[in-house]
Amino acid sequence: MSIKWLLWIGLYVVMGVLVPWATALSWAHQHGSELRPRVRQLFKRGELGLVGLVVVISVIWNLLQSQFMQQTIALAAVLLAVIGTMAGDVWIESYSRQSTGTAWNSERTWRDSRNLAFLVFTMSLVVEILLDRFAKVAAL
Amino acid sequence: MSAPAPALAKPQRPKVIVRLADAAVAVASLSLIFFLLLVFFPVSFPRIIVTSWQRGYLAVVLMVVTLVLDSFLYLRVAYLRSAKPTVLVAACLGSLPIIVVVGLSFLMESAVTQTISLDLPNLQARMNEEVLAHTYLGLVSAVFLPFLVIRLLQQFKATR
Repeated sequence: MSIKWLLWIGLYVVMGVLVPWATALSWAHQHGSELRPRVRQLFKRGELGLVGLVVVISVIWNLLQSQFMQQTIALAAVLLAVIGTMAGDVWIESYSRQSTGTAWNSERTWRDSRNLAFLVFTMSLVVEILLDRFAKVAAL
Repeated sequence: MSAPAPALAKPQRPKVIVRLADAAVAVASLSLIFFLLLVFFPVSFPRIIVTSWQRGYLAVVLMVVTLVLDSFLYLRVAYLRSAKPTVLVAACLGSLPIIVVVGLSFLMESAVTQTISLDLPNLQARMNEEVLAHTYLGLVSAVFLPFLVIRLLQQFKATR
């Protein structure tokens, strides 16, 4: 059971984080550029928050299709949506600050987006495992 | 009267500005622990939660755990930033986890009552899964939501 959920979350990590990073490296290689961005540099404007938002949308969709009681679905969906929005908001704030020339701290943006994305990923793991357990119970 | 010498004036410590990222790491670690317990103890861990709910301890345990965690988090942030904790935030952190846990306990009771009323097959197991899900969601809400409220209030205050 654990491997299944690790694969599920691993898919998001690969597609949302590693593929863009590898694409940036490949672009640099193709154009003969000296650019060698690290994951931290690539996502320094809070883009990890957007990856978190995508994960949250998929988990909410799975929740809506589950057989949990309405109260449980509503609570989990609202909580995930709030946390996902907060994760996405890091990128919005960073963009707005840079666009308007307001003071912007890349270190803080990276830290905020990384921590909130970590929260989204771990919460999604737990909710997916709860959904899996409930589906098995309902199928009996 | 002359002005006090600058050396004698006490330096003002800034007030603690809460950032969601601080609470996020704590809640993520809590989620990770919950995940590992579910994976490695898929029967005994849920049973402990359901038994404590049946005996009426669950809400109290959740309140104590979230209160301790919230206070620890706030004091840690204050210590790391050498900032001064404020009474208003302390009052919020003291009351909000309790309000959230009590509110969500009512929601859990209503979900369980509805499960029973539907007369579905495998009722006991369904009920246990509902309790397990609500316990996790209650834990996360009671730690994260107070920090979210404080953050929004601080932002609102700063804007005004």
